[in-house]
Formats: sequence, structure tokens, C-alpha cells
Amino acid sequence: MGTRNPEMTPFSSSGPLVGSYDESSPPPSIPLPQSTSIPPRFPAPPQSASQFPQQQFPTIPQQQFPSIPPPQFPQQQFPTIPHQQVPHQQVPHQQVPHQQFPHQPFPAMPNQPAPYAPPLQGQPYAPPLQGQPYAPPPLQRQPYAPPPFQGQPSGPPLAANIQALMEDFSSLSVGSIPGSIEPGVDLKALPRPLDADIHPKSLSDMYPMNCNPRYLRLTTTGIPSSQSLVSRWHLPLGAVVCPLAQVPDGEEVPIINFASTGIIRCRRCRTYVNPYVTFTDAGRKWRCNMCSLLNDVPGDYFAHLDATGRRIDLDQRPELTQGSVEFVAPTEYMVRPPMPPLYFFLIDVSVSAVRSGMIEVVAKTIRSCLDKLPGFPRTQIGFATFDSTIHFYNLKSSLTQPQMMVVSDLDDIFVPLPDDLLVNLSESRNVVETFLDSLPSMFQDNVNVESALGPALKAALMLMSQLGGKLLIFQNTLPSFGVGRLKLRGDDPRVYGTDKEHMLRIPEDPLYKQMAAEFTKFQIGVDVYAFSDKYTDIASLGTLAKYTGGQVYYYPGFQSAIHGEKLKHELARDLTRETAWESVMRVRCGKGVRFSSYHGNFMLRSTDLLALPAVDCDKAFAMQLSLEDTLLTTQTVYFQVALLYTASCGERRIRVHTAAAPVVTDLAEMYRQADTGAIVSLLSRLAIEKTLSSKLEDARNSLQLRITKALKEYRNLYSVQHRLGGRIIYPESLKFLLLYGLSLYKSTPLRGGYPDVALDERCAAGFTMMTLSVEKLLKLLYPSLIWVDEHLLKTTDHEDIESLKRLPLAASSLDSRGLYIYDDGFRIVVWFGRVLAPDIAMNLLGPECAAELSKVSLGKRDNEMSRKMIKIVEKLRESEPSYYKLCHLVRQGEQPREGFLLLMNLVEDPMGGTNGYVDWVLQVHRQVQQNP
Amino acid sequence: MGGLLVWLVSFFFLIALLIIIVFQLMCLADLEFDYINPYDSSKRINRVILPEFITQGVLCAFFLLTGHWFMSLLCGPYLYYNVRQYTRKQHLVDVTEIFNMLDKEKKRRLFKLFYLVFLLFLCIFWMILTALEDHE
Repeated sequence: MGTRNPEMTPFSSSGPLVGSYDESSPPPSIPLPQSTSIPPRFPAPPQSASQFPQQQFPTIPQQQFPSIPPPQFPQQQFPTIPHQQVPHQQVPHQQVPHQQFPHQPFPAMPNQPAPYAPPLQGQPYAPPLQGQPYAPPPLQRQPYAPPPFQGQPSGPPLAANIQALMEDFSSLSVGSIPGSIEPGVDLKALPRPLDADIHPKSLSDMYPMNCNPRYLRLTTTGIPSSQSLVSRWHLPLGAVVCPLAQVPDGEEVPIINFASTGIIRCRRCRTYVNPYVTFTDAGRKWRCNMCSLLNDVPGDYFAHLDATGRRIDLDQRPELTQGSVEFVAPTEYMVRPPMPPLYFFLIDVSVSAVRSGMIEVVAKTIRSCLDKLPGFPRTQIGFATFDSTIHFYNLKSSLTQPQMMVVSDLDDIFVPLPDDLLVNLSESRNVVETFLDSLPSMFQDNVNVESALGPALKAALMLMSQLGGKLLIFQNTLPSFGVGRLKLRGDDPRVYGTDKEHMLRIPEDPLYKQMAAEFTKFQIGVDVYAFSDKYTDIASLGTLAKYTGGQVYYYPGFQSAIHGEKLKHELARDLTRETAWESVMRVRCGKGVRFSSYHGNFMLRSTDLLALPAVDCDKAFAMQLSLEDTLLTTQTVYFQVALLYTASCGERRIRVHTAAAPVVTDLAEMYRQADTGAIVSLLSRLAIEKTLSSKLEDARNSLQLRITKALKEYRNLYSVQHRLGGRIIYPESLKFLLLYGLSLYKSTPLRGGYPDVALDERCAAGFTMMTLSVEKLLKLLYPSLIWVDEHLLKTTDHEDIESLKRLPLAASSLDSRGLYIYDDGFRIVVWFGRVLAPDIAMNLLGPECAAELSKVSLGKRDNEMSRKMIKIVEKLRESEPSYYKLCHLVRQGEQPREGFLLLMNLVEDPMGGTNGYVDWVLQVHRQVQQNP
Repeated sequence: MGGLLVWLVSFFFLIALLIIIVFQLMCLADLEFDYINPYDSSKRINRVILPEFITQGVLCAFFLLTGHWFMSLLCGPYLYYNVRQYTRKQHLVDVTEIFNMLDKEKKRRLFKLFYLVFLLFLCIFWMILTALEDHE
């Protein structure tokens, strides 16, 4: 508390201390430079980075204090390593022959037929092509470039050389902190992901033709070569796939139409043609990179090869140069004519729905989105509402007014006028608009408290089974009428901790699973919007979304005045984002490996085919790999994601992402190339799935056990060569694993027990986390906390939001004189310190600033400060458009709001019997050290 | 003569059970090799699960009533398992999770199969023994 200068905040550094204060361990625990044999006992904050002994661990994120000019690097001595003097200025590392690196990880493979040429002179392979879009910039030949950390001189030659020379692991001392008596880890030294998530770059450097990591991320880019390596890896081995991930503007996935040729695929394994296939026999044959079968090149696709064996038309063939392409699928890929985009809305109009104002917001939002629905002019639309009866609406274009038809016999559902209930939007536009305008008033005086969701679902299935499409359910109460009525459950705290606990988190009535299966069968994707402040059994309702590739939106205690904006944005995004219809996805991989399990929202149609009735850019899927044989003999493993879908325009397409990854024989290599983001994504999905079959505590424990085992295994790799003493060691690539593990441990789906999170909220968060892409999940697990009042006070206005630094998520980062924004990707919390300068609060909130902040909103006011604040909030919203970040205001000490809005989410603090970051690290460390 | 008849009847019961189990295993195998979609597969399996349970229960009761308490005892665990599955509502295969459960479901049925084959051998043994005794 009290540190007012963010640059000097010790937390902004992720580890200047690493390896230096370890007084308890024997001196040569890690090869230390001689010059620093006397560790500084009380390091002054402005100490330059070069004076720290860990200078020779360049992979450790070293925060250089921006206020200090970069120090001159002295010549370093490396007592334990032969190449002692590395004059850093003179050696541009591109020119260091890479064979000299003791840890040259993937020796170039001269015999490998794949178009991956062994890099010479440290240059990455770049095909001699003009205009090749994915040609990489001539990056440093540095196989395991650490993610560029903020503040670290990103790759001075010195660092590169030493890094290659060194065993690259990071360590943290667990001795006593200088100046304190208590043993422990220095809080400041612990690594934190205060920069945006950075995925490992090494793979795209090695294989420049791989698809972008936003589509496919492997948990480790070094695929283990043997079963024994897999069993020693302990972390999940697999991939996270987001086939339709949003591309930045100007970077489109090329669409290729083979027309008469037909799509080129391997005869045997059905792999699509990709950059890694090789052409032989003067261009008449091509060898599949997955199964190495020689295929004939069709006449229309034939091209001569040049002297180096490349096709001469390579620059006109994006499918042979780019990792992500989209093929236009001919009629063989259709079982029926491509379906039009279809939206069917099933709206609960019982009394609570009317009261919350949900109907009005929904109707208005749909109406405003009518122009933007994809697939004009083929788009189809339909509506039904339900309370204890089901109301259908005839929207035939010849009518001027919609006709309402009420079905009250719910035991034997029938659909009146099945042809006119789902209509073409462009033809019936006027009727639809009239309907949406009158919908809120139609049920204004409805006093019906029942909700017949089950029968309504059956009716929707009957209506939509012809075409498929997207079903949006707006549910405001617990389904209470007809089939599929649900009971109140989960209000008994005694169930927690028993064997029956998990039953609360799985659907109560098998009907919901059956309906979900039926929906998928008929290509219907379901999105569930739930609004109630009372128990609505999200566990059961969410099942509908889970098996149909949909999504659960949960607005507990919905009130249109507060949550209206959020619902509006999220519904609008749901309706207008590019959606892939009636799709199936398969991930192929090379010989010897296979995907054994899949995690996410979908239904498996066969062992490896994911049925996704409607899928969009906000959905990611995770899968685990297993080795089929005990040994992998190939040098490279290829992965190919293929998503066959109907685009909104009515074209059938196949989106193909191809990636290659090297096979490694060394466990350390696997750990070195691990991707924390993908690992955390898989771990979270596994943990959430575990909560569906066992206790929360078991799920948490198994998560912890996995992390512990992995670190222990890694430690054992090095404990023989080095005397590690009381150090925690972890691979550089996994330095955030402990923190994310802790966040996951405390995340909504896994946290605590009965009193900590309401059952519905827990389930909804679980369903959401099962679909999130890696970046969004990491943001949710470790939200950003930024300090804004200084920014607001500054007069310069060209300063942008990126300059605002993220702070560690701990209460000690909060200063009662400050104003902070907490942003987890789903909401924003603005925290007003107790003694914040009154003019700031006044400027932002106007005269209401003294009132209770739960009733105040952050509106635009006519002053510079307010405009700046609004701009920041808008920027934060724009940066992640998938969910609307509703802005909550809270004042320091305002209980209990402060607690559940902010304090509970400060993951580094101990709270309610859970560990803080330091204790967690110590606890894991103790377990790691235990034998065996 | 009555003894032989009892063994003959139970023999046919066991054969019926074996056929049902083998049928289920075939459905699962077909599913694994993608000859059949999960909807059809689970529908076919679920259709025969209750008949299987009932047949088995009847067989167990039949042994008990005819005084072959030892055989009845041998059928006991199987019956207990079935009843437990039924009361937990886990007896039917779940179409949405069928691929994740595939290995487990197959193992279960294979175990049942071996169990039944063992019973069948016992049954045949008793039958032959009874037939020989009758002959003498």
C-alpha cells in the first residue's frame, strides 16, 4: 500500500530476485557468475538488472525499470561452461553456426522429404517465392526464443548465446526473504502474466507454413516419441482448436474453388492437400504427409516441378503455401441442399419474465438485428412463446398482422400450420417487425407463473427438424410444467462433500440429454439464455447447449435497467456473428498418434467426428492425444483440422488448418516447448468435467496433483546435475502454470463448496469455460487490474490504453487513494479507493458520487476526465467483443458488494481457507520435494 | 426327468442372455468402426437392456424355485449389479456420451459374457450329469 508510482511498484517486475537470495542452499546450486558471489542482501530497487547474478538466465523475465537507462553489460564469466567469454556486442547470433549450440533441439533432418529445408546460417526456411504470404520475417535463429517479455531487452545477442548455452530452467528460491524472518518465497519474485498472453513462437519459426496458433495450439510443440515420455509428461497432451477464430482485418483465410478438379485429398487417409505434401515424379504424383501414400495428381492440377522440386505454380496455390485455407465443397460433401440460416426464438413469457423486462429487451434487440442477420435473402425466422401453454405465431407474408395460435394440450404436442411458422425473413419482414413491436405489450398482464419448457422444446424440434438452424431459448424460471419439469435442488448444504454432490451438476431429467441428442441429429444448435435470480437448474438447461455446440448465457437476477445493455450486446453478437451451419469437424493427425478424447460443446458423431450444428468464432474445442504405438519413428507429426460447414451465403465449405510439430525424444525438450495457455485450457476442461462425476474437492485435488507431478518430474531431470537445494524449478515455458493453476483452483466452477458459489452460477461458469478460447480463458483466470486515476489526471490525450500497466491481482496492489479497473473479459469493476481525490469521483459520477454506488452508473459527463474514462471502458470492451463487459462500480469497504465483485477474485490473496499465491507455491513446492 | 428339464430350460435362458449380450457388443463394435451412427446404436442397445435384466432375474428366480440354490447364488452378483444399475438409472446407454463410455460399456459387457459362459458350462455339466444319472 502506498506506493504511488506504478513504475516503481515492485510487483511490476516479475523476477529480478530469482536465484539470488538463496542463502540456505549451497553456493553452487546453480552455476552462478563469479562476479556476484556475494549476493546483495538488501537490494535497492533501482539496481540494474545486469548486477543480478541471474544475468545468465536470460529466459527469466527481467523487468528493467523504465526509469533506469539500460545498463552496460559487463563481460560475463561462465565458470561452469567452456565458452567463457561471450562478447555480446560483436556476435550477432544469426551468424553463430547453430551446430555449436549444445541444445540444438531439432537437428536438421537432411533426408526429410518435407519442404522444410535445414536452415543454413541460422536463417529460417523461406521458400524462394515472391509474395508468399506466410513467409516469416528473418527471425533470429534461436529455437526456443522466450516470449518477449515487457521490459526485457528482447534478444540482445548476449542473451541469445547464453540461452543456448544454458540449461534453460527457471528457479525460485524458497529461502528466507532478506529482511524478514519468516521463511517463504518473495512475493515480488513470483512470475505473473502481466502482459497479454503470448504463445510460443518457436513452432511458427520452425514451420512457417503452419496455421496461426489462434486456430490450433498444442499443449507442447514437442510431440513425445515414446509412451514412456508421455507417461512422464503428466500434464495433458493435446490441442486446443478454434476453427473459426476471428481474424484481424486484412488477414483473410483464402477461399479456393477447385471446381472441376475436385478437392485434392489423400486416397487412403483422406487428408486434404496442404503445404507439407511433396510432389514427386516430375509433378505427376504427390506424397501425403500424414500416411506417406503416393497419390496421383489429377490432370487439371498438374504443374511441372522446378529444379528444387517445387511446383512452378506455387505462388498461385495458397493451399500449398498456407496453413489455413478454405475449400469450396462440391456436391459430394452435401447430404442435402445447403440449409439457409435459420433462427428460432423460444421465449418464456411467464410472469417473472414480464416483470424483469427481459421480453422487451429481447424483442427490441432482435428487431434491431433483423438487417444484420447473416444469409440475406435466404434467412428464415420463427417465434414461439410459452408459459403453461405454447403460443405459435403465423408470420405468413400475406398477412398484415401476425396470428397467434395457442396450444394448450401439452401431453400430445402438435404444431398448427407447420409451414407458416418458420418464414423467410425478407418476405415476411413487415409481419415479423409488427410481431416484435407488439410482443412486449402482448404479455404485459400475464400472470401465469408456469413455464412449460419441455413441451416447447418438443414443438421447436418438430418445427425445425426439416431444416435445422439455431434455437435460442430465453428462460426465466425453473421449467415447471409438462414433461421435463424440474425440481428445486441444491439448497441443501449437506449434500456437498458427499458422493451425491456431483448429481447436482448433471441434468436431473434425462429428457434434456435426449432432446439435445435429437437437436444435434437435426442440425439444430441451441443457445440458452437464463435470467432468473432463483434456481433455474442451469445444469439441466445447459445440457441442451452442451451437446449442440451452443452456449449458455446467464444473467442472474436480470433487470432490464441494469443488465439490459449486456443482454442486448450479447444477443446481437450471437445473432450477427458469422456462423457455420450444419458442420462437422475432424482432426486428423499423422501415423502413430491419435486423438483419444474431446472436450467442449459438441456431440461426437463417430469416434473422431464432432457434430457442430452451429459453430462460430467464439467456440474452442480441446482434445487429448495419445500414442498408438510405443515408439514414434517419424521426425514430424502433422495435424489437420477440417471443418465442413455451410456458410451463411449457402455455400458448402471446408476450412482446413494444417500444422506440423517436431517429435522429440527428450523430456526436458517437451517441457521447454510447453504452451501454458493450451495446458491450462485443457486442465480447466478436464477439471470441470471431473466436477460432473465427483466432488469439487476431488476435482481440485486432481488438478493440484497433476501440476505437482509435472513439476516433480521436471525437478528430477535436473536434481542430479545440479544441487538445487530449496529451489523451486520449473521450465521457463511453464512459469505461469502455478499461478493459473491457483486461479483455476479458485475459479467459479471449482471454488469452495455450497456457500461460496450459487449452484446455477457454478454450472453456468462451467459451461462457459468449456467453450472459451485460450486467450479468453487466461484473461478470465487472471483478469487485468489497472490503475487509472493517474491516467485520468494526465492532460495528454494521445496516451492510449496499452500504456496502462496491469497490476498483480492482490489487495496490496490497491491503494485507497486510487481508482482501479478490474476486467476479466466478462465484466468490468471500477474500484474507488476510500480516500480517492473527491474531484475525480465528482467528475466521473457527478453529484451522485456520494450515493451508494450500486445504483450509480458510469455515464458520460461533460468533462475531460469522464470522457477519458468512458474511452478506456469502450476500448476494453472493443478489445474483446465476445461478451459485453458490464461496468460495476464499487467503493472500498462497501460490503458485501466489494467482496464478491472484486476481493473474491483477487486470486493472489488468501481467502476463505484457500491459499494465497505464496502459500500455494510453498505448498506445491513441499509436495514436489516429498518422496517419492 | 424333471431335473433334466430344469437344466434344459436354464440352458435356453442362458443362451438367450448370451445372444442379447453378444448383440449389444456387436452394436458397440459397429459403432466403434463407424458402421452405424450413435443414435441407432444406442437405440438398439437400449431396446434389449430391459429384456436382458428381466430374463436374468427370471433365471435367478427359476434356479431358486427349483432348489438349485448354488446356481442361484452364482447368479446373485449379476442380478445385484443389474438392479443397482437400474435403480441408479444408469442401465441405459447415453447417446450423447456413448463414445466416451465406449470402452467401459464394452468391458462391462465382455465381463458379463464371460460370466454367462461360465454359467453355461456349469449348466451343461449339470445337465449331462443329470442325464447320465437318469440313464442309470
